Amino acid sequence: MAPPSIPPPTTAPAEAAPTSAAPAGFLANKSRFRLFGLTLDGCIKVFFGGNAVVAVVVLSLITIFLFKEGGGFTGQNRANLEIYRRAGLEFVDFMRTQVAGHTALTRELSELRLRQFNRLTQEQKLPPAEANAALATFDKFSDQFDDAVVPLRRLVSDLTETATAIKDKFAINENLSIARQQLLAEGKAAEAEKIAVKPVDFEAELKPLLAALPDYQKAAADEAAKIAAALAAAPALPSPELQARLEKLKSSARAYVNGFPEVEKTLRSWDHRQPVPAARAFAAFVFGREWITQSFWQDWYGILPLLVGSLLVSLAALCLAVPLGIGAAIYVNQLASPREQRLIKPGIEFIAAIPSVVLGFFGIAVLGETLRWLSQQSWLSWVPGFPYSERLNVLTAGCLLALIAVPTIFTLAEDALNNVPRAFKEASFALGASRLQTILKIIVPASLSGIISAVLLGLGRVVGETMVVLLCAGNRIALPDFTAGLSVLTQPVHTMTGIIAQEMGEVPHASIHYRALFMVGLVLFFLSLLINWLAQKIVRRYRIAIG
Amino acid sequence: MPAAISPTMERPSAQPTAPALAVSAAGTAASAAARTIIDIDHVDFFYGPSQALHDVSLKLDEKKVTAFIGPSGCGKSTLLRCLNRMNDLIDGTRVAKGSIKIRGVDIHGPQVDVIELRKRVGMVFQKSNPFPKSIYDNITYGLRLQGVKDKSRLDAVVEKSLRGAALWDEVKDRLHTSGLGLSGGQQQRLCIARAIAVEPDIILMDEPCSALDPISTSKVEELIHELKKQFTIVIVTHNMQQAARCSDQTAFFYLGRLVEFADTRTIFMNPANPQTEAYVSGRFG
Repeated sequence: MAPPSIPPPTTAPAEAAPTSAAPAGFLANKSRFRLFGLTLDGCIKVFFGGNAVVAVVVLSLITIFLFKEGGGFTGQNRANLEIYRRAGLEFVDFMRTQVAGHTALTRELSELRLRQFNRLTQEQKLPPAEANAALATFDKFSDQFDDAVVPLRRLVSDLTETATAIKDKFAINENLSIARQQLLAEGKAAEAEKIAVKPVDFEAELKPLLAALPDYQKAAADEAAKIAAALAAAPALPSPELQARLEKLKSSARAYVNGFPEVEKTLRSWDHRQPVPAARAFAAFVFGREWITQSFWQDWYGILPLLVGSLLVSLAALCLAVPLGIGAAIYVNQLASPREQRLIKPGIEFIAAIPSVVLGFFGIAVLGETLRWLSQQSWLSWVPGFPYSERLNVLTAGCLLALIAVPTIFTLAEDALNNVPRAFKEASFALGASRLQTILKIIVPASLSGIISAVLLGLGRVVGETMVVLLCAGNRIALPDFTAGLSVLTQPVHTMTGIIAQEMGEVPHASIHYRALFMVGLVLFFLSLLINWLAQKIVRRYRIAIG
Repeated sequence: MPAAISPTMERPSAQPTAPALAVSAAGTAASAAARTIIDIDHVDFFYGPSQALHDVSLKLDEKKVTAFIGPSGCGKSTLLRCLNRMNDLIDGTRVAKGSIKIRGVDIHGPQVDVIELRKRVGMVFQKSNPFPKSIYDNITYGLRLQGVKDKSRLDAVVEKSLRGAALWDEVKDRLHTSGLGLSGGQQQRLCIARAIAVEPDIILMDEPCSALDPISTSKVEELIHELKKQFTIVIVTHNMQQAARCSDQTAFFYLGRLVEFADTRTIFMNPANPQTEAYVSGRFG
């Protein structure tokens, strides 16, 4: 639809004629190089682009793999919890909890005795034999209290065997049916026929267990009566402090006994056919306080002790590494002479070159011992948590992890300080500020977001560290006792990274334990992702703030 | 506290809140019998092994604007930064010979507190450098360093300084927004307000308009006219017209030496030295 005013193409050469003619080859020096139809520029572009694509593909493959392997966990754990219920293990565990409650009370009672004994021998200077004699009434009371639980404990131990037998039967059946299916899959129908799989009749198997309910009632009533009698006959203790403790113990014992009807109600309403919801199987992982594997009774996969252990160790490490790393960065960047800078900077960055297994080795052999020795010195007894006896604990691992985090925090914080325009510093000096005022009021605030992201990346480094915590954190899988205050830092813990390194090599492929470890890996992955994302977000804000 | 640190340095007005403009009346009288405030006496200055200033001697008058001109690398900025000892921040610098006296006190003397010196000798830099803080915090920074916490006094100083820097009407409604949000010219005037907030005797300006557009430049030049009623100003500039417009006296430097120092009118109309004439008429440099 060209308008008529446009001249026809044939006139174009005529119009172009007045321009000066180009010599031959003018502007025509284009390279003839071709590889698979690509020019040299194209090849280079493909090469670099390919590298970037490989990185992205590998990252997404890892993510997919993590999700794929961890994904089956909830289902398997649900099956795990279902058999826990159907085989009656849950039923027995209700009673076991009651026994455990009694055991806790007994432990407190014996600690009370120990205190009273120490009081007698140390303050009143009685010889041990006389002190024991003076405690005879207390011992009688204590024995009476102890005995109260004997019938129930016996009952629980009997029922434990019953329930375990049911579970074993089920497990054997499962294995048989798997073997049979395998044979069928291989086309060996005749051999498969030989394997007889009789499904477990839980209804029938559970009968003896449910029939034990009257026994439980009797045992519980017996226990309640005996405890009441024992409490009534409790001796008075001479010191008001210990008496107060005893009173507290008595009231908790009463509360314990008052809980019996509730247990009985639970036992009565318990139904082995009730299905376990998938949410509960998942919650058992996220909020589970126990990580017990390869147990004869029941396996639990609860991440809390590991998560708390990891966070606690990282926090301890940060508390040490943040002042060290940032302090050193400020010194090197603002105060040190060039000579010192040349010495300190590579020195700190060199720490990053120490393999973490060597650090862990150092932690076991030197640091753990030294810290324990220090903790047992009398002049340091005012430090919370001192003295302690576990050589490998949160503190030992935290100190070493701090060493790992310091180079990261130092380098990045120093970069952040370095990025503060020199003009700010000069302006501050020109207004009559001292060095310290300039650092605290201008340099550090201006680089604060950079420093914060340095700390976060240090945290990321520490959370993901494996070898040091595996060697030095003590590897006790239990929730640390936070009621102990700061001395929680002297308790051994296990960590998410540590448990994966320790157990992954030994678990059968695709078993529930294997999948649970992948779930732990997923949690770790998301934690690191979160930390890095936060750090990047803060850095971006910081660039804008400097303008 | 300042008096205790440098007892020999006396302040023209002991009260920091003394009315600023009251001085202007006396200013004309003072200009007739100008007193020397800065006495630079045979100064040699080194950056490590290389000598940047050769035997520079110069007497600058109180409440006058003195311009330092000369081609790049002639040492004018170096001399300026000597006056508040900003060169101390650079490793390996030293004044090898001679002395610089402000109100008769040798600023390199053993008893001089460099922090006190910098409170008396303020500075405005080539590139505007407000702190990444609010306008209000930028201006009160110097006073807060000195321990002033009284809110009403800080408020008063902020207003006075911003008015002094001809910025008040533009920013009075956004004192608590970032100083980095201002335009280039406003930022430079903010830096001037920040410098005058601590009421120095002398203000050093290191090419204050080199990064500004002509309109902002003329605003800053007008400001310099106002400020010289109250402060002694030393300005380094590459812009010959600017030196001619704003300064009372001009010093021409070349290759680390002071070539000529005289009234601005003389330097531009009737220079004694042929090098000066060549430079101001744009034949070299």
